[in-house]
Amino acid sequence: MDGAIVRIRELKKDSVNFVLENVDMAFANSLRRVVMADIPSIAIDIVEIDANTTVLPDEFIAHRLGMVPLISANCSDAMRYTRDCSCPAGCPICSIWLQLSVTCTDDRTIDVTSDNLEVVPGPYGMSMSMDDAPEELAKRGPYFGHPVSKHEPGAQPVLLCKIRKGQELKLRCVARKGIAKEHAKWSPCSAVSFEYDPHNKLRHTTHWYEVDERAEWPLGPNAEEEEAPREDQPFDFNAKPNKFYMEVETDGSMGAQEVIMKGLAELQTKLANLIIGIKPDLDIMAGGDGQAAGAWGTDGGTWNAPEMASGAWGATASAPEATSPAWGNTGPQFGGGSRRGAASPARVAWSGSPSGGAGWGGAQTGWGSPNRETNGWAT
Amino acid sequence: MNAINRHELFVLEDGENPVEVTEDTKIPNAATIRIAKQDHTLGNMVRAQLLSMPSVLFAGYKVPHPLQPYFIIKVQTDGTITPQIALETACNDLIKMVGDVEGKFKREFAFKDADGAAGSNATGAAAGGDDPYGSGGGWSEGKDYLDF
Repeated sequence: MDGAIVRIRELKKDSVNFVLENVDMAFANSLRRVVMADIPSIAIDIVEIDANTTVLPDEFIAHRLGMVPLISANCSDAMRYTRDCSCPAGCPICSIWLQLSVTCTDDRTIDVTSDNLEVVPGPYGMSMSMDDAPEELAKRGPYFGHPVSKHEPGAQPVLLCKIRKGQELKLRCVARKGIAKEHAKWSPCSAVSFEYDPHNKLRHTTHWYEVDERAEWPLGPNAEEEEAPREDQPFDFNAKPNKFYMEVETDGSMGAQEVIMKGLAELQTKLANLIIGIKPDLDIMAGGDGQAAGAWGTDGGTWNAPEMASGAWGATASAPEATSPAWGNTGPQFGGGSRRGAASPARVAWSGSPSGGAGWGGAQTGWGSPNRETNGWAT
Repeated sequence: MNAINRHELFVLEDGENPVEVTEDTKIPNAATIRIAKQDHTLGNMVRAQLLSMPSVLFAGYKVPHPLQPYFIIKVQTDGTITPQIALETACNDLIKMVGDVEGKFKREFAFKDADGAAGSNATGAAAGGDDPYGSGGGWSEGKDYLDF
């Protein structure tokens, strides 16, 4: 590839339209896939409903809450995955708490929208349990984790529910970082379009038509970018797609620019991890296992140790309610029927997961978390 | 209930090998490489890059089962390099290419930012989004993944 060409045709706050040239299709497609599914953002993951006398069932509301876009700018650095965090059950570094409390006393129906969600400090004192001054927090913008529409004048908030006189909706949510492979609510993109070969010169598709192909398949705006094939032009079976028209539109949780740059960085991380993965084998063939560990960085040899050795981690993982009094208070409610896991079944409980905790603890050493040293316990 | 945890689709398990190389016993200079917790995003890109290398005779990848989060890639070279080195070279080339595209995007965004600041500010905050997004994004730190 002799140098890709990027041309941005339109850039708005939450969308970017660009043409990518001189790359192969696999590359362009990987970029498309990575911006859709591999960029972390924040979304409500657990909903604890205190009162719900609305017409909608709890699950319904919990699901809708999960879909609300929250401002996630710089979230790959400014927040940790809960599974990577050293806290037992959520701390300000890996969780954001939101509250919603609306009661209708008027004679008319009220809209409950995402603007009613308030970011609140954590449920228990949140004494910043970590000693390592959480650098993550410093990287956050002022409205990090707030619903997107809230701080934008003229923006339409997300309607969650309508309530009439005498009805109430009161709940607490925990928002976490995740990626869209886990649940689509974590995708920063609301739409990604991808087009190549607007004239269908490569015949990657067949146009079905009744009478006249040209009339029934009008050309899109991207067709102006490329020369139409001549009537008598023979089919070039060696031709490869070379010019890709993409538009990335975000849900507002991040800027389009950030999504693209993060996507490219994520691609590099994936490739780098593959190189690292293949290198130890080469080193072993050369007889140097130590080098292999070295290639993994300083934590190469030690990453099993913390969770194996530290009983504290195991203990906190298995008994978070005991170690965190405030959660203990909410415990009964929590274990009872009033609590609804949000849209992701994978995160049903913090409490009953000693194995889950350990598994995640170990798992974080893999890809996806380039700065695992920041967890504090790798050293 | 029986579903696996979703994060198992992309987070390496404890002690799981991210990359396993099995050399082919019958075909010379060929290997099958199993890459865990990755999918078409990486597989197809790497395969395409391998095919563009003159010393690679064959490269193909597949995701054997959609519910199992790994893919395998088969590489056969002409003998001048081993399949592992071919793969490594392909990845390095791709990293360079992504870096190139990244730089071009950065430049384009900078141009557009300058335009936006001058003209199309009517849509509210400028394209950089300094208003609700705070620090605007830390991508510009210039991370070097080759340092891994």
